[in-house]
Amino acid sequence: MNTESVDAELITLLDRVANKDHQALKALYDCCSPQLYGLAIRVVGNREWAEDVLQEAVLTIWRAAGDYRSSLSPPMAWMGLIVRSRALDFLRRRKSEGSQVTQELDDTLAQSLPGDAPNPMDHAQASEQARALHHCLGQLDHGPREVVSLAYIRDLSHSDLARQLKLPLGTVKTWIRRGLDQLRLCMTRFA
Amino acid sequence: MNIHQNPDLLDRLAGAFALGTLRGGARRRFEALARQHAPVRVAALIWQTRIASLNELQPPHAPPPAAWRRIDNLLKAEAEAAQMQQARSRAAAPTPPGSVAVGWLRSLRLWRGMTAAGALATVVVTVVGLNLRDQMGGEIQQLQAKLLNTPQIEYVAVLSDNKSTASMLVTFDPKSKRLTLQRVGSYQEASSQSLQLWALPPSGGPKSLGVLGSEKVLRLTAGENDVKAIPALAISLEPKGGVPSEGGPTGPVLFKGALIQKAV
Repeated sequence: MNTESVDAELITLLDRVANKDHQALKALYDCCSPQLYGLAIRVVGNREWAEDVLQEAVLTIWRAAGDYRSSLSPPMAWMGLIVRSRALDFLRRRKSEGSQVTQELDDTLAQSLPGDAPNPMDHAQASEQARALHHCLGQLDHGPREVVSLAYIRDLSHSDLARQLKLPLGTVKTWIRRGLDQLRLCMTRFA
Repeated sequence: MNIHQNPDLLDRLAGAFALGTLRGGARRRFEALARQHAPVRVAALIWQTRIASLNELQPPHAPPPAAWRRIDNLLKAEAEAAQMQQARSRAAAPTPPGSVAVGWLRSLRLWRGMTAAGALATVVVTVVGLNLRDQMGGEIQQLQAKLLNTPQIEYVAVLSDNKSTASMLVTFDPKSKRLTLQRVGSYQEASSQSLQLWALPPSGGPKSLGVLGSEKVLRLTAGENDVKAIPALAISLEPKGGVPSEGGPTGPVLFKGALIQKAV
């Protein structure tokens, strides 16, 4: 199915969710939750926490679906923003409660580095823009790609990234700059 | 420096801004420029949407089936509480005016408002219930499980303070005429004081249901007529031993909440 018709279908579901249609929420959940849960796992670093985040995000979508139309975003992009912001809130809460957030992230980051190939494009609901970005990210080397991606997904600064990925600060800065430059050149072709 | 006249630099800064790696003073300066100059704003927005696409590119994972059941339960509880609230406000509507007399505690409007607030607090408590479970250990979970498994318990109330923190769970079993109170918060009255439980009927003043001791779980005896058709319960702080029912509460109301008859 092409992006446009998938988007149209998701938008119809969101409209129904805005009218408190329970079945529409279930349908939306059935098609999008793997994507949203995957994102939550990537931000918070473990499945149990990601489940809490997914739950909060779905409840937010249930309550805020009425605002979707005014956002101008493709539906998956809108839901993705909700998941990321709930997930970052979750991490901030854990941190303020004094939990060992960074320790747990260390482990998962170590695991995330060795893999090399860019994720296969198995995101049937992804927006046009996401497809373009996926293509452009695929042209980056593994290091810059991972660092750019984690900087945003986990809202990390240069020094956070250097510490957590155990890389020299200079390397992180170079990778981010080079990665952004390459994305910039590549993305303008899709603009 | 005129970044809005230098497209390359502008694009670079907008990218770093959207990625979140532009921080501190540089970020604040960029934000100020974006507020002043539309082209800067446009570049920032374009980059924000581009970068946000990263959210859609993470490896998908199917959540466990229990994740949906939890969400579904929360939504159902929310819907039921909303219905209950509607039914209650309909039931409370035909109360005759005139009994608005003695003191603020007798004010009908106040009690009605409180009933609504109580029902709302119950919704909130139900919704945050899953988060609370960590903090309160197994207590709530156990009690909830008990509630579900014990068909005799027909009335339930969660009494909360003004910050919607659950402080007391009340259940009523009409067969054994037993009212059970369980403290779930950390509140502890001074030794010279007692907590007193009040029924808040839709008309007339509050009626005392009993005085609480300092134990964690307390059982009081009450007839179903004392509890039936009571929309809400409240707990006030009184002198040691409590005060007579006729006079109504004399101290501050600490906890309150809607009394819900369990749908079978």
